[in-house]
Amino acid sequence: MFDARALAAWSLAGLLLSLGTTNPFYRGLVALAALNVVLATARPGSRPRALLVPLASAMAISVVLNLLLSRSGAHQLGPVTLESAVFGFGIALGLAASVLAVAPLSLALEPNQVLEALPGPLQRLGLAVSASLNLVPVIGRSYVAIREGQRMRGAPAGLRGLPEVLVPLFLTVLEDSIGMAEAMEARAYGSGPRTRFVESSWTGLDSLLVASAAAAVVLFFAFPTPDWYPYPALSLPPLDVRQVAACLLLLMPAVRWR
Amino acid sequence: MALASFDGLCYWYPGVPAAALDLLRLELGEGLTLLGGPSGGGKSTLLRTLNGLVPHFHGGRVAGSAIVGGRDLLRTAPSLLSRSVGFVFQDPERQFVYQTVAADVAFGLENVGLPRAEMGPRVDAALESVGALGLRDRRLSTLSGGERQRIALAGALALRPPLVALDEPTSQLDEEGAQSLAGALDSLRADGVSLVVAEHRRDLFEHRADRCLEVEHGRVREGAGDARSSPRGHHREPVGGLAWRLAGGDAGHDRAILKGLDLEGREGEVVAMTGLNGSGKTTLLRVIAGLLKPLRGDVQRPSGRIAYLPQDPGTLLHQPTLRREVELTLRRSGGGHSRPSAVPDAEPFLAEMGLAELAERYPRDLSGGERQRAAIAAVIAGSPALALLDEPTRGMDAAARDRLIAAVDRVASGGGAVIIATHDRELAAAVADRVVSLDR
Repeated sequence: MFDARALAAWSLAGLLLSLGTTNPFYRGLVALAALNVVLATARPGSRPRALLVPLASAMAISVVLNLLLSRSGAHQLGPVTLESAVFGFGIALGLAASVLAVAPLSLALEPNQVLEALPGPLQRLGLAVSASLNLVPVIGRSYVAIREGQRMRGAPAGLRGLPEVLVPLFLTVLEDSIGMAEAMEARAYGSGPRTRFVESSWTGLDSLLVASAAAAVVLFFAFPTPDWYPYPALSLPPLDVRQVAACLLLLMPAVRWR
Repeated sequence: MALASFDGLCYWYPGVPAAALDLLRLELGEGLTLLGGPSGGGKSTLLRTLNGLVPHFHGGRVAGSAIVGGRDLLRTAPSLLSRSVGFVFQDPERQFVYQTVAADVAFGLENVGLPRAEMGPRVDAALESVGALGLRDRRLSTLSGGERQRIALAGALALRPPLVALDEPTSQLDEEGAQSLAGALDSLRADGVSLVVAEHRRDLFEHRADRCLEVEHGRVREGAGDARSSPRGHHREPVGGLAWRLAGGDAGHDRAILKGLDLEGREGEVVAMTGLNGSGKTTLLRVIAGLLKPLRGDVQRPSGRIAYLPQDPGTLLHQPTLRREVELTLRRSGGGHSRPSAVPDAEPFLAEMGLAELAERYPRDLSGGERQRAAIAAVIAGSPALALLDEPTRGMDAAARDRLIAAVDRVASGGGAVIIATHDRELAAAVADRVVSLDR
C-alpha cells in the first residue's frame, strides 16, 4: 500500500499528462496505465465498476455529441464526418485519463487515509470531514427508514409527500451532527494542540513512486510534440518515444503492487 | 472518596421552564452506581453534568455548584473534564470519528496531545480491558452492536479516567451484546474504574451495583425503584380469521437471510418474533409490511390499515406537537371519529401511552424513552388491522412497558393482528400469544 501523499503525487502526474496534450495516443496510454493501476490497487470492498460504467457512458456521450454538433472534416460518412468522430473520441480519452488518474485516491485508499495525509493547517478540516463521512451510512439508513415510516403512515406518494421525508431527514441529520459534536467534545476534542496516532507509512517504495511520477512529467514536457487536431483532414498523431516512455512510467504502481 | 459532588445544583435546558435537575445534592463514590427512574426523569442530564456537557455544551441556566474530579464543574470545559470522566453514549455508531478500531480508540489521546510513541500501548491496554484487543485492526463498520459498544467504552477508557459514565449502553443491544458489555464492565470494576450507569435493564445491572439511585423529576433518591413489570398471563383468545400469511417466503436484500418461512397470524393475535441482532427480525417485518418484496413466496395482508413502528422513533416524528403527530395518523386512517370532517381525538391515545401532559411539546425535545412512546402512540392510534412494532421497548422504563402492553392488548382486543420484533424476552412472554424465534 502506498502512502496517500505518494499516490496523490502520481495522480497529479497523470492529470498533468492527460491535460497537457491533445494527442489521443498519449491520452489513451495514460488512460490505460491508470486503468491498470485502478484495477491492481483497488482495496477490497471498493467498487471500480461503479466508476467505470458511468465513465464509459460519459465517453460514449462525448463521441455522440461531437458527431451531432460538428459537421467539419474532409471525410464524409453520410451526415457525419470521420474527423468529428475521432475528435470526440480524443476528448473521451482525455476525460477517461483524467478521471482514472485520480480514481486510486478513492478506490485504493480509505477516505480517512486521504484526509489524514492533509498538511497541518488542514488537519482539523480533514478530521471534521472524516467524522462526517462516518455519518453518511447512518444518514442513508435514516432516509430509507423515514421514507418507509411515512409511507406506512399514509404520506402521499411522489413530490407531494417529499416534505414528510425531507423535514425529518433534515432534523435527523442535524441531531446526528450535534450528537457527533457532543461525543467529540466528551473525548477531549478542542482541549489543546493535537498529536496524531497514525504513523507515517512512507517507505522507499513511496519515494520511488514520487520519483517515477516526477520523471514522467519532466520527460513528457521536456520533449514536446506539436498539438494535434483531426481537422480539417484526418492525419496520424505524431509520436515521440520519450513521451511514450513517460506515459508508461505511470504504470509503476500497478507493476510494483502485483 | 467522592469522585463527584453536587451541592444544590439546579439546571434548566434552554427555553424549558421546568428544572431538569432540581437541587441536586449528591456525592458519587467508587464502584458501580446504577441510575434508574422513568424516561425523561433526568438520568441523561445527570450523567452529562459529570463531564460538563451540561451546561457547557447544551447551554441553559444553572445554579448551585458541583466538583467533578477535583475541578469546578461550572468553570471547566467538557474537553478538560474528559480526562476525569469518560462518557459512553447510547448509540455507538453516532460517536465514532475514524473508520478503524485502533484509530478511533486513540482519538481522545490525540486530542490531549499524547506523544505518538505512548499511544499504541494505551490503545492496546484500553482494548484489552474491555476484551476487544482482537478487534484492534478491524473496520468499525464490520463490528456487531455489542462489539461497537465495547470499542466506544475503550475509547472512553483510553484517557484513563477514574470515572466512566454510560448512558443506557445496552439499549441498542440484544441479550448477547448486553451480556458481553456487562462482562466488560465487571472487569473494569475489578481494575478500580468507577462507573455510573443509567439503564432500564435492571436485571442486568442491579446485582452488580454498589449503589442504586432513582432519578425522577430531576431529583435523586437512594434505592432502586420498581423493577421491570413481571411477565403476566393474558387471557385473549385469537378469535378472528386469517389476518396475514407469509407462505414459502425467502427474505433478504441481496441474498436470503430467512428461507422457507411459513408464518401466519389471526385477527386479534399477538405474535412476537425474537432473535439476536442480525437474525432478520426487521427484514421479516418489512416484508410483511410490504416495504420489501420477498425473494420468494407470497405475502397476504389484511385490507385495513397497517401500522408500522420502525426502530428509530426519530424517523417518524416531524409535527410541531405530539398531539399533531397522533392526529395526523387518525386523520389519514379515518379513525378516532365517526364523521370525516371532525377533528380526530388524539387524547385517548396520548393518555394510553402516558403522554397526555406532553401533548403540546415538540416531539423531538422529548427524552429517548418519551420519544419511543410518542412514536408508538403516533403509529397505533386508531384501529389498525395489522400493527408491526420493531423493538418497541428501546429505552423504556417499567411503567412505559406496561403501557405498551396495554396498548397492544387494546389493538388485539379490537380484532387487530400484532407482530412485535423484539429481543426483549420478558415483553414477548408478557404480551404474545405466540413466540417465533428467528435464531438459527
